[in-house]
Amino acid sequence: MKLSRIATASVIAAVGCAGLRAYQRVGDFGFGNDDSPSNIKAEFYWSRLAFSSNLQGLSSFGDYGYWRRNAWSRDYPKADRQFLIAMHRLTRIDGRPTEQVVNLDSDEIFNYPWIYAVQVQMWSFTDKEAKRLREYLLKGGFLMVDDFHGTEDWENFMNGMRQVLPDYPIEDLQNGDEIFHTLYDVDDKMQIPGEHWVRTRRTYEKDGYQPKWRAIRDSKGRIVVAICHNMHLGDAWEWADDPDYPEVFASMAFRVGLDYIIYDMTH
Amino acid sequence: MFEFIFKYPSPVFIKGRFVFLSAWPVWLLVALASLLTAALAWLTYRKLSTVAPKLQGWRIWVLWAMQSAFMALILLLLWQPAMTVAALTPRQNIIAVVIDTSRSMAIQDSDGKTRESAALNILESGLVSDIQKRFQVRFYRLGSSVTQIDGPQGLQPQDPATNINVGLKKLAEDTTDLPIGAVLLLSDGSQNSIEMGESGIALDTLQALHNRRLPVHTIGFGRLQVNHDVELENVSMAPSTVINSRISAAVSFMQHGFAGQTAKITVHDGEKTLASREIKFAPDGSLQTESLFFSAGTAGARDLQFVISPLSEEENLKNNAIAQPILVNDKKRRVLYVEGEPRWEFKFIRRAEEDDPTTQLVSMLRTSENKIYRQGLKDPGELADGFPTRPEDLFEYSGIIIGSVNADYFSPIQQELIRQYVDRRGGGVLFLGGRMSLSDGGWGVSSISELLPTFLPSGRNSFHRNPATVELTTAGAESSITRLLDDPARNLERWKKLTYLADYQETGSPKPGALVLAQMDVGRRKLPLLVTQSYGHGRTAILATGGTWRWQMSEALGDPSHDLFWQQLVRWLIADSPAAVSASASSHRLMDDGKIQLSAQVRDTQFQPSINSQVTAHILGPQGVNSFVDLSPSQDTPGQYTVGWNAEKPGGYLVEITATDGASKKESGRDTLTFRREDEVAENFHTEQNRQFLQELSAQTGGRYWEPNVVKDIPRDISYSEAGISVRTTNPLWDMPLVFLLLLSLLSAEWLLRRRWGIL
Repeated sequence: MKLSRIATASVIAAVGCAGLRAYQRVGDFGFGNDDSPSNIKAEFYWSRLAFSSNLQGLSSFGDYGYWRRNAWSRDYPKADRQFLIAMHRLTRIDGRPTEQVVNLDSDEIFNYPWIYAVQVQMWSFTDKEAKRLREYLLKGGFLMVDDFHGTEDWENFMNGMRQVLPDYPIEDLQNGDEIFHTLYDVDDKMQIPGEHWVRTRRTYEKDGYQPKWRAIRDSKGRIVVAICHNMHLGDAWEWADDPDYPEVFASMAFRVGLDYIIYDMTH
Repeated sequence: MFEFIFKYPSPVFIKGRFVFLSAWPVWLLVALASLLTAALAWLTYRKLSTVAPKLQGWRIWVLWAMQSAFMALILLLLWQPAMTVAALTPRQNIIAVVIDTSRSMAIQDSDGKTRESAALNILESGLVSDIQKRFQVRFYRLGSSVTQIDGPQGLQPQDPATNINVGLKKLAEDTTDLPIGAVLLLSDGSQNSIEMGESGIALDTLQALHNRRLPVHTIGFGRLQVNHDVELENVSMAPSTVINSRISAAVSFMQHGFAGQTAKITVHDGEKTLASREIKFAPDGSLQTESLFFSAGTAGARDLQFVISPLSEEENLKNNAIAQPILVNDKKRRVLYVEGEPRWEFKFIRRAEEDDPTTQLVSMLRTSENKIYRQGLKDPGELADGFPTRPEDLFEYSGIIIGSVNADYFSPIQQELIRQYVDRRGGGVLFLGGRMSLSDGGWGVSSISELLPTFLPSGRNSFHRNPATVELTTAGAESSITRLLDDPARNLERWKKLTYLADYQETGSPKPGALVLAQMDVGRRKLPLLVTQSYGHGRTAILATGGTWRWQMSEALGDPSHDLFWQQLVRWLIADSPAAVSASASSHRLMDDGKIQLSAQVRDTQFQPSINSQVTAHILGPQGVNSFVDLSPSQDTPGQYTVGWNAEKPGGYLVEITATDGASKKESGRDTLTFRREDEVAENFHTEQNRQFLQELSAQTGGRYWEPNVVKDIPRDISYSEAGISVRTTNPLWDMPLVFLLLLSLLSAEWLLRRRWGIL
């Protein structure tokens, strides 16, 4: 009787070990493993970075039920989807028509080598999150930041950026830089205002009078963070179908966004 | 004793031919013998119950067998058996006595004397005079070649090299007008004027000796085995490589007296240690081969020193090291990557190749329907009109990668050009998985489907954006493409633990001759991931995924797996793609002999053999050697140019071969190689007697191997030869004492048995 119990326990343990081993090989299948009809698989996912805010102090950033109150979700999801429509029409990129929200809570972000973030003057990172974003960028990931304006926003943005890449300088991009010539030659850039232009006719917000096309490069000289300071490309995408919003801003915003994506996918 | 029993010496039976002198047919002998034994058996059976009823069955049949043997032997003698054998005519033939005078013959291991002294002693203590009673004798000394001398007196073992093959071949060819009846070689069998690790009999030497029917009798000197020694036998390594590449060297060695002990193999570049590995010795006398992996480092020609650490009590420390030349070049080779859509795989392949200083990735990416984004260009006009349509434009690339591109993106002319690129130019083409690749891109029904290493599945739904884990096959475990870690077992484990691929594509079954190096686990099935094959002069491969980029993004920061794999895969793709000028040398290590053959294969811009080129070798060597030598076109191989040269000084040499087109006077290309001459080194290796070589040499030529202490029969045995002036003699066998003894024994044995069994 005793022997049979031991044997039974051994068999259960062996099956358990084998199952665990099998799970270890496939248990982390997450990316690409959802075969449900509602999930459209694609090469490119427009990934919007969700982050915790340093100012609003609302519920945790993971609580997407309150997404409208969170900084990262400005213009979401219309801007993303309108941009994806343009991307489908103008490039051969196999992109999903809907956006993907990613965060720095897990390693899932490494499945999306392109991320877009707005209102980055409000971001704040724990050490773990900053480390994960640093590794993401140094492995080959790309971050585009948009929609933050003026001196104070810049300082707040830099507080987070210094936490992520403390030793990497920020530089102003020149017209001849490759990132402005991958799909379109964008030589004469302008300040791209948000939707407020329709009401105010102002292209700037706060004290961000001049558009700043900036970037951080990795040790090989490749841009890993593209910084659109004192402008709001996301609004231009979102309001591109508004007859009151100037086409020239929207077109420029689309061209820049597509250039950035092609740059990311080729460098 | 042998001659007493058999009447004739053993060579008569070894070299002779058995014949019957009787005119009666042989079948009659067989028939009669069968008839008589059968009749005897019938009689025995009939009479058994009446004549010897008490005799047990087997005993009577023993007696029958003896009687049958007796009668068969008598019948055999009636047919007059004999041996015919060719023998040299006395006084009309010459015996060539060849004495090895290489430095290894100075080793004192023959009863306190040098091998050379022992050899001369044998010659002078009666052997020569005995031979001279029947034949003339000519003496030769053997070093790297063979030279006639007046006599053995005063010979010194001073030649720095021995090449028995070359010496005997020269002897056979130089003495065609002389009645040489046999060769008597006194040597330790060591050959060192050839590549290390090779010591067999050269086919052309055997051919030359067989043409003359010259038997080579050998007398071996020296110990057969060293009691305590480790000897490096050979280092097998590519003679040239590219900077920072991972080099694999197979180090072969043999030891006596240290079985089971450990030692360290090290490879040095000057003062710098490149790699080191501890090894455990196999049983005594067995050839052991171990691998060493190390980085090639920076560009330049260098001599690597492979060393096995000396052990206590080792008798010869000079055979523990071998110098091997290697040329590390920094030529950037250009690879064309055609991609049909922006995707992550493209980005991360580019990044991996950016870190490889030997590869320049030139890419054309279809970003939109009418736009191509080009990178890695040598000038703005490159690929401006899209994929090349002329051979000279496409063939300049050393490899091609075809990504997610439909087959019909390429025109029929371009497809044919890709086929010729592999078949004729000898380039490599890699096909990647993707939504417009392989079956889904219509490649299976394209005109160049034969290039692919698999039979692609039909239909267009073979690409899946689902995860797949990977593992190496047996072939992959041995491939340099998939070596992420030097240790084979750890490498296999590393592959199993690699994060999953972002997608996979079904490739169908591999074609005969194709090699599956890695496979994917996609749930219930395993599918080929990396398949390679040779095609024409080139090679093709399929990597059935567009999702290896996850190895870069999802492995730990700094993990080299993704980049290393891609760099190794692309290097494999282009490694054997010939350049316009490919230089080669007959040997990269010359031991005591400076003769070398330099060759170059020259091709024009369309990679056809160039027959009107001016080809020059610029040779730089030790002590200011600086020579320019013109290479001559080969009569046999179009585009091949060769020249023989003599490296007179020991040391390292660097050769740059340049080809100039005869019509346009433009340079077609250039290539470099390195080689090394080493003097007085080879004699430190293989110092024991190579008895196996001497025995094989004698056996293959109809001679005999002799121990130094039993040479008195040489003058007699040496006369049985078909070379020189010989006559064939017939030697009857009926009166051999052996026959008489056999007959007597059979009769006596039968009588004794009958007496014992009581049937007399």
